[in-house]
Amino acid sequence: MFKRIVHSKGLGSAVALFIVLLILPPLVPRFYVYILALIYVTSLLAMSLNMVVGHGGMFQFHHAVFYGVGAYTVALVLTKTSLPMWIGFIAGPIVAAITGLIIGWFCVRLTRLYFAMLQISLGSLIWAIVFRWYSFTGGDDGIHGIPMPSLLSSLNNSYYFILIILVICLIMMYMILKSPFGNALQAIRDNPQRCEAVGINVRRYQLLGIVIATFFAGVAGVLFVVLERSVFADLLFWVFSLEIFIMCLLGGWFTFAGPILGAAIIMALRTFVGKYTEYWTLILGVILILVIFFLPEGVMGYFQEIFKPRTK
Amino acid sequence: MACGPVELICQLLVGLSRSMILFVVCAGLSFVLGVLRVPNIAHGSLYMIGAFATFSLTKIFPGSTGFWIALIVAPLLVAVVSLIAERALFCHLYQREHLMLLLFTFALSLILGDLVKIVWGAEYRSVSAPALLKGSVSILGASFPRYNLFLIVIGPLVAIALWLFTNKTKIGKISRAAAVDREMVGVLGINVSWVFAAAFVIGCYLAGVGGALVAPTVSITLGMDHTLIIEAFLIVTIGGLGNMWGALVGSLIFGVTHSFGVLFWPQFAIVFPYMAVVIVLLLRPKGLLKSVW
Amino acid sequence: MLQVEAIVKSFDDFKAVNGAHLTVGKGEIVAVIGPNGAGKTTLFNLITGQLKRDSGKIVFKGEDISELPPYQICKKGITRSFQIVNIFPRLTVFGNVQVGVLSHQRRSSNLFLPAQNIAVEETKRILETVGLSDKEKSIAGSLSHGDQKILEIAIALGNEPELLILDEPTAGMSPEETLATMELIKRLAQMRGLTILFCEHDMDIVFSIAQSIMVMRQGQTIIQGNLEEVRSNKEVQEAYLGGE
Repeated sequence: MFKRIVHSKGLGSAVALFIVLLILPPLVPRFYVYILALIYVTSLLAMSLNMVVGHGGMFQFHHAVFYGVGAYTVALVLTKTSLPMWIGFIAGPIVAAITGLIIGWFCVRLTRLYFAMLQISLGSLIWAIVFRWYSFTGGDDGIHGIPMPSLLSSLNNSYYFILIILVICLIMMYMILKSPFGNALQAIRDNPQRCEAVGINVRRYQLLGIVIATFFAGVAGVLFVVLERSVFADLLFWVFSLEIFIMCLLGGWFTFAGPILGAAIIMALRTFVGKYTEYWTLILGVILILVIFFLPEGVMGYFQEIFKPRTK
Repeated sequence: MACGPVELICQLLVGLSRSMILFVVCAGLSFVLGVLRVPNIAHGSLYMIGAFATFSLTKIFPGSTGFWIALIVAPLLVAVVSLIAERALFCHLYQREHLMLLLFTFALSLILGDLVKIVWGAEYRSVSAPALLKGSVSILGASFPRYNLFLIVIGPLVAIALWLFTNKTKIGKISRAAAVDREMVGVLGINVSWVFAAAFVIGCYLAGVGGALVAPTVSITLGMDHTLIIEAFLIVTIGGLGNMWGALVGSLIFGVTHSFGVLFWPQFAIVFPYMAVVIVLLLRPKGLLKSVW
Repeated sequence: MLQVEAIVKSFDDFKAVNGAHLTVGKGEIVAVIGPNGAGKTTLFNLITGQLKRDSGKIVFKGEDISELPPYQICKKGITRSFQIVNIFPRLTVFGNVQVGVLSHQRRSSNLFLPAQNIAVEETKRILETVGLSDKEKSIAGSLSHGDQKILEIAIALGNEPELLILDEPTAGMSPEETLATMELIKRLAQMRGLTILFCEHDMDIVFSIAQSIMVMRQGQTIIQGNLEEVRSNKEVQEAYLGGE
């Protein structure tokens, strides 16, 4: 009974929040609109990672690669070709998902630590190529001044676009997680051996989970380009991959919306702490240590524990 | 680029000397990985501290003696830093799952990275080699830096020292046992926590040694930790987790392929070792040599 | 129905299973017994694909299944429960069983419909059969040990198997729970026409419900036969001398 109230309250407050966020841009300074849009992009990225880590139980330690691939794909299509822009928008997630399929196919054959290591090495290879191929990818300069369709030329319009795509993606992710596939994925996380014994081809399901997650990471990459109009090699760097991991952990990786909270906290902190000191990395490290010691279930996990309805 | 046999051999030797520094660092990483079963992400930061500390020590003790002092003192400094981190925070996490330990080492690397920025600032630093090792020798008609020869000699010495340690000393043997079966070691009445502390500190000490050794050969900058730790991870993985000889093999592969990359395709030199790692992992995902567990 | 011939499996130098034989007829209840370390669980792991054999053959309904991975063996009609409780601790009891049912109905890759509405009747029916209906919404990790072992069996039923393999189904249970579980096994065999293969340490249970008994020792089959044949066999008596 209580759970149903919380659930409908949850849905109600989500809708209310959405409406508030929708009417925000004309009311607040430009800077906040920008920061919020950046939080949306990062939230989508963190949610996509959590699909394989929190719900799938895999050690996806270099997820940023797929984000970067999606961003670079759309950047390259928009700057190097004269194809219509929407093709770039669609190509981004697709190329990211294909990359996820290839890398994932090699990785799912291995167990956890080796999975992580192989992914880090394959991802680093891609990063190294992007970093050095100056003529094609801009090397360590990146690509700047990427043209956008006129509909998205203003910051506010970009904001709306990003927010709407984010919500659509979140709804899709929610449906997928509640579907039999999502169920199977979480069962695989908890006990892959048992799943094999009930007839589930664990590797195929894990691979499918990775492809879905990397698709959404690619979407996040495209949204990043919409917001920033540029790409750089740092998007594919392993340190960033671990930062996304931290966002999921901080928010609560066994919950649905935890990563969004984690991304919001980290991005907000980084922006505002950055005004006072240049030692954000130090503070991030301290936060991580605090989370490890005191909040291993993440912020959302902690609140769920407090508000858990008592079982009879 | 002229690519006669002399150039090839010289480049091979350069690769070899680079491999030796990588080996010293990776031997430490492998050792920690073997005993604690956790990849220490802070290893790169400790390496960086070793390099910066060497810089400071050579400024305090000018001339050649500065370097030799630094070679001894800098790694000890790094060892002390790692001991503090271990006793204050790390040791409380040994009961937790490995992912938490890994994330702790990541947090540590973030903190140490910024500490270096606070203490030493963001400029490039450099250290010059001691008089004894300055200049070059002539090998097959080409000139080859003396310092690199020194590195090629040091590498195997470290390997032998580490081998003697793990096989002949009491602490070393206990560490090896703990790597394979920590519960058994505990049952034998040995304080496993102290074994872990010792293993961690020794591994980090080696990272400091690597940092001190590399100081005269590169510009000492703030990004050193990040570049190194990825390379070290990959080397340790292709070598076989926890296996010191694996670290040697992996370092050789990495250093030599990088050198050949520089020779044949300088723009994409860094891609060569990564490609080699990918190939090894696709063929032998568990590494070339047997892992300790 | 199931035929295991001369199966061998070693771990490095240790021969866990060294030429074991087993025959299971359709509709039978067969027990495998033997002292600790005889290789019973290893044998089961070989049959269901968790381990790969070194040599020998496993034939199910005329088909050689020796090389198949576990999920394919399950699809052929063999499911199992595990000796050490192997459930999904974070899911509810309902969710645990539903995983198996969904897999059987080939619905697991469905991405679009909410899972809680699918395969509900079948799942509830299984829970009723094993007697866990009232605990449907509990989180599996919070159940008592005995209930978890029953849940083990329930999960295996989700795939409507023809051959059900139970690895020490009453290990760690109280006497009442053990009796109830044995009744359950008998009922399952009758109701669903299941063929059941299990291994146990409790001799009373084995002798009360098994129709055919295979005795293992040090990885080999000493004998397989009915109750009388096994009880009167000299080697069997030797193997258990000084034991129970």
